[in-house]
Amino acid sequence: MDFHAALGWGLPVGIGLAAIGSGIGLGGIGSGAMQAIGRQPEATGKIQLAMIIIAALAEALTIYAFVTMFLLQGKIG
Amino acid sequence: MGLEFLARVRRTTGWVTGLAALWTATYASPSLGLAVLLGAAWSLVNLFLLEKLVVALTGPWRSERSARRRLTLAVAGMLALFVAGAGLLARVAPTGALVGFTIPMGVIVLKAAALLLLPSKLWKRVADATPRAVGLWVALLLVVVVGAGALVAHVTASGEDSASTPAVTAAPSAPTAGHGEPGEEGPQKFANLLTVLSRAFPEAPWARFLHHYEVVIFSLLVAFLVCLVAYLASRRAELIPKPFQNAVEAVVEALNDFIVGILGPRYGPRYVPFLGTLFIYILAMNLFGLIPFMDSPTSNLNVTVGLALVVFVYAQTIGIRELGVVGYIDHLAGNPRTAISWGLVPLMLPIHVMGELAKPISLSCRLFGNIFGEDMLLVAFVTLGITTLSFLHLPIGLPLQLPFLFLALLTSTLQALVFTVLSTIYFLLMLPHEEHGSEGGAQHAH
Repeated sequence: MDFHAALGWGLPVGIGLAAIGSGIGLGGIGSGAMQAIGRQPEATGKIQLAMIIIAALAEALTIYAFVTMFLLQGKIG
Repeated sequence: MGLEFLARVRRTTGWVTGLAALWTATYASPSLGLAVLLGAAWSLVNLFLLEKLVVALTGPWRSERSARRRLTLAVAGMLALFVAGAGLLARVAPTGALVGFTIPMGVIVLKAAALLLLPSKLWKRVADATPRAVGLWVALLLVVVVGAGALVAHVTASGEDSASTPAVTAAPSAPTAGHGEPGEEGPQKFANLLTVLSRAFPEAPWARFLHHYEVVIFSLLVAFLVCLVAYLASRRAELIPKPFQNAVEAVVEALNDFIVGILGPRYGPRYVPFLGTLFIYILAMNLFGLIPFMDSPTSNLNVTVGLALVVFVYAQTIGIRELGVVGYIDHLAGNPRTAISWGLVPLMLPIHVMGELAKPISLSCRLFGNIFGEDMLLVAFVTLGITTLSFLHLPIGLPLQLPFLFLALLTSTLQALVFTVLSTIYFLLMLPHEEHGSEGGAQHAH
């Protein structure tokens, strides 16, 4: 397997793996926040704020993979 | 047919001409589009002078001196206009100019026909029943699409026979994702105004300059627009605000409450101007890409790195100013108070320094990746929509990107919010705080 073929396989698979990881993380964050809101509805604002921040942190990992894909995309062909 | 009919004709002609000129400039050649524009402008001025002439001749003040002066002016203007028209025909492409000349005439004829048709019994019978009206619309649309498709296919075929410029393949506004041109780096985005200009004038140095610095130009444009809105809203501030001032005040107040809610009443008001401006500016830049022929400056890594660097430097400045140099280093060392934490300083110091350096990287990459990815998603679906209808040989496509435009609205707002909130929290972590040490930051938000 040469470099181009490896890249052509690796980029989509890599971004998919990153998305899986982020998805699991986001699911956990979302479920935790929903449970917290369910227990303490009056704290919804604060919980949502924290949830958005942590969700952004978790989501950023997929974005890194995405950016890397775009940086390396030109080297496939 | 009164004067208000003429005003409506002028308005419609303006729209039709703008679209036609844009279409021609995009799919045929820029000079032809310019010719269409100039021809229509000529025709409109002609119409305007004719109107003045008729008013001066038949108006209620036709016997007064001012009417006679206006009459003379109109006649002289028309003579000058005819000379200008001759020069125009000699200078620009005659076909385009002639098409432009006929646009207002066509609009008048169509509008007059509509005026005759609309009150007629036949039209009422068709328009009153919904299914019949829908059927009529669909039939009309089909006829237009198929007819225009046949026409364009015919024109392209004959154009390729005579080996002139192929019309559709030279379309700059059609996104050509995937196979970028040799001069371009990376994947292609939507063509914006400056890209179109630089392709229309590939040799001109000013066009290349504009294309090269398009991100700077667009971000300055956004900044100018934000400044303009702020200036207009606060120019004549009133105690009982007008709707515009009210809306801007509501935004400022919401941002103020939000940021003071995180930073606390002591330090909050000092940083509201910076952080609020950051939010509004980033939001405007993100949304700017959704305007046709515009581009989000934030879908370029240079812009987001610049923004994140500003936040980074400001956060360090705040740390040094509020904590002092010793306190700042103490903060980076993890506030060692006990023997164990002093022992951990060689470990904590590099970790904290790395953490500080990672913040701008993650801020900039997150914003860039989200906005750029959103643009790429739209490009992909627009391309798909165009490919779906490519058998028609028409510059139209299925609007498959529509749901993703709403997604783009959501991500634009969310990413602006996330950038601002994270910046606020980086500031918060730098500010002196009673129970310090925890890195989460979110639990400080009280």
